[in-house]
Amino acid sequence: MHLKTDSKPTLLWLQGVTCNGNTHSFLNLSSLVDLLASYELLYHPSLPSLQTFENVSTCKFKCDIVVFEGTFDPLLQLNNISVHRILKHYVQSAKYVIAAGSCASFGGMFKASAPERNSGLIFNEMLQEGPLLYCKEKVINLSGCPIHPEWLGYTLSMILEGEEIILDSYHRPVELYSYLAHHGCTRNEYFEWKIDSKMFGEKEGCLYYEQGCRAPMTHASCNKILWNEISSKTRSGMPCFGCTEPDFPRADFFTTKTNMSIPEDVPLGVSKRSYLTVAGIAKTFHIKRLEGKLIDYKRTD
Amino acid sequence: MAQTIKKRRRDEIIAVALKLFSEKGFYVTTIPDIAERVGMSVGNFYNYFTSKDVLAKKLVIYISEYLGEQIRNINDSDATTEEKIYAIVSMYFDMANERPEMIEYFLRVYLSNREVFAEGCEGMICVSSFVTEMMIFFDNGVSCGELYNQEFFSAFGLFMGYLGGMVFLFGEKVLPEPLENYKVSISQNIYNALKNRQ
Amino acid sequence: MITRELIEQIEGEASVSFEMKRDKVNFATIAFPHFRGMERILQGKSALDALVITPRVCGICGHAHLMASVRALESAYAHAGHAICLSHKAQTIREFTLVMEMIQNHFKWFYLTLIPELIKLRRTSKNSTPLKGAFAASLASKTLASFAGQWPHSSYMLPGGVTCDPTHMERIKSQGYLKELIHFFETETLGTTLQNFLSFESCKEMNALQSDISYVEQALLASGMHQKGFAYDRFIVLGEHSFSTPSKMKQTRPFLVESKYVRVKESYSPQEQTYAKNALYKNDYYETGPLARAMTAHVPIIRNIHRRFKDSAYSRVMARIVELASLLQHATELLKVVDPTETSLVAPEPIHTITAEGIGIVEAPRGVLMHKVSIVSGVIHRYEIITPTQWNIGSDTKIDPTPVQQAMIDVTKEEALFIFRTFDVCSVCTTH
Repeated sequence: MHLKTDSKPTLLWLQGVTCNGNTHSFLNLSSLVDLLASYELLYHPSLPSLQTFENVSTCKFKCDIVVFEGTFDPLLQLNNISVHRILKHYVQSAKYVIAAGSCASFGGMFKASAPERNSGLIFNEMLQEGPLLYCKEKVINLSGCPIHPEWLGYTLSMILEGEEIILDSYHRPVELYSYLAHHGCTRNEYFEWKIDSKMFGEKEGCLYYEQGCRAPMTHASCNKILWNEISSKTRSGMPCFGCTEPDFPRADFFTTKTNMSIPEDVPLGVSKRSYLTVAGIAKTFHIKRLEGKLIDYKRTD
Repeated sequence: MAQTIKKRRRDEIIAVALKLFSEKGFYVTTIPDIAERVGMSVGNFYNYFTSKDVLAKKLVIYISEYLGEQIRNINDSDATTEEKIYAIVSMYFDMANERPEMIEYFLRVYLSNREVFAEGCEGMICVSSFVTEMMIFFDNGVSCGELYNQEFFSAFGLFMGYLGGMVFLFGEKVLPEPLENYKVSISQNIYNALKNRQ
Repeated sequence: MITRELIEQIEGEASVSFEMKRDKVNFATIAFPHFRGMERILQGKSALDALVITPRVCGICGHAHLMASVRALESAYAHAGHAICLSHKAQTIREFTLVMEMIQNHFKWFYLTLIPELIKLRRTSKNSTPLKGAFAASLASKTLASFAGQWPHSSYMLPGGVTCDPTHMERIKSQGYLKELIHFFETETLGTTLQNFLSFESCKEMNALQSDISYVEQALLASGMHQKGFAYDRFIVLGEHSFSTPSKMKQTRPFLVESKYVRVKESYSPQEQTYAKNALYKNDYYETGPLARAMTAHVPIIRNIHRRFKDSAYSRVMARIVELASLLQHATELLKVVDPTETSLVAPEPIHTITAEGIGIVEAPRGVLMHKVSIVSGVIHRYEIITPTQWNIGSDTKIDPTPVQQAMIDVTKEEALFIFRTFDVCSVCTTH
């Protein structure tokens, strides 16, 4: 699929049940000015647009790309018109539909608003039973709570350039979601030697063993490209909550689920037996450099 | 061909050493004793193990790998956790009957002469195959809801300490009945102690 | 005759039903139609999970929700007999990131809402520059993320402190972004130095400026917004911060406040279904937000403006701009005193030992934000959120109009729609 280059493609940003977090995350994109210069905004929830939402909701227009933010609720009415009707109308003309964030991709946080009927555009958590299943080849899922602005920037730029975007089994671009949130974590050495963080609020220690970190099981390039170009959850001492995966939000975010002290989930693709063998051995070594504080502010020499 | 012969000789040394260490004790047994019993020269022995300490460590790993393999087969079976407990107890008691030197070595040499194992066998390194399989067993038991979720060593100590204690009593010839007769009751006790009560 | 207007780009939508009388608004009701059920989602969850879930109430002020949540949990700890004492560092970093989120919000409101709406109201052909707002806001969130890990949806606080453990490196990086932001504010927004602007005691001193702010100030006066958009001239501030003075005010008289008198009641919206509830103090409506904060904190220029123009739309807008300036100054001061050698977090008792109620109040960009939690053995039994827009943009009957309803009476519909936005409305927060 290729978008004609003689005129700017038209982009429509629609919202289901949402917190606006993806909208605001997108506004942090470093190349926002350039990117927006290449698109016509039919409507966006906070940027100046060609049309009002009131006009857009009457389904009178066409667009090339639909960005959908929020959980899809079939009963949701926007300006007293069914969101299902609005979505269906614009998807018809669109060449791409981008699910911005985990709500639109899998149901996410607001699936719980009406669990029996809410879902993402293709997926309802892990199952393919969303409203756009019939045209799923158009849909690109950019899961994350919220979406990382650079993920959307990448996708919109790839579309402009006519480059093929290869997707994984959850319809996410492989160039963004083949990495794990674990890649690039500054606590990696503590993970290697199985040194857990004794408590929150310290830069030392790994948050996977006790504090609920999902980074080794979560597809996301957060720790590679960083948030706001400067930090990440784990760099600020927070466990990764696995927000890009279909099972987000899980429960007990700050506790690692263990069975008799053994982590229930081990790093992706690693068998539990291999993991426990290596972990058991690594744990027996006492590495002084990694046991104390990384920085000793009291040193005077 | 040469490799298989070498492996067989190595296994023979291990079998003999296990027997001698558990019968005579670790310090009293010398390398010439072992070499003589195997039927090889002392010089040739050193082609297999460079010192008595190295052999001692290798024996622990050997036993751990043997136990690990047995438990792994049990873990990979379709049995319920209760059945698996019986299978592990049964395997362990059979081993105490058939190859008592293995358990003896573990209890009397490995656990009693920690100084020999101070370097290279810290913590769980030399017994990791066995401990890993016990971890897998506990993890499966909890995730299928049969076992109560608790700290690993509380459960591990209860299970292995109990079996070790029984084998020790058996070795001391204190038990009025053969080990075989205790399999059912001990499996039940372990299961009752560890099962999920919710 | 009743006419319905859809209000867009207010973090979601709302609709206003106008009852007109001779081209002027006689009465208006407001409906927020989108329900999400955050309070219900929180029920039965581990209390700490609120620190991940409540920031997701809102994309633009999620950090304020995080802070209200952590304060609610800490208050529950205190009620359970385990008072929590924060290190100076944790307190300072929390304040700093909260302030940076407000700055982010105010920049967006100024460039993405206020200026375009003023241009529309004035029917002039001036070009608006909304992306200036996005640029400034992204710098503000970068400054914030140096400590909070990310924005939006920051989660980096736990009962007992903050989880980040910054070095001077993070502080200096953050300082660099903040300086860049202040430079932008001075050259683009103010047209003078921050110091000079903060020394202004009268809005007349803005006359000499050639900048975005001078355009706004003149356009407001030219639209008569200094004589329109009056609410009740009653203000409320409840959040305790280094930059706020909790109090309620009637005109310029301050009174003590106690959060226990805050209550909510059902909205009156006969035209359309709404999921919003109105917030009141005892039986009265109060305005909350930057104007209220400036009034209770005696900010000279705003007290001066208020003396002349009371709680007009002009005063409300100017208060937000002046607050933006003073928060940039305040953030600079806060950052200076972050000491990396202090403890970030003192871990309290495990949450499962706590059975208690707690209340967390913060000043969010739009005003008082309140979280109330009831915890049983570490599990959320009940959670209640009262947001600033519920104070300002409630919908009640003609007998007892809310601040925004009062402010929209007797002006044209176009003016009313502008006045509506001077409160800086957040739809998603309102219906959480």
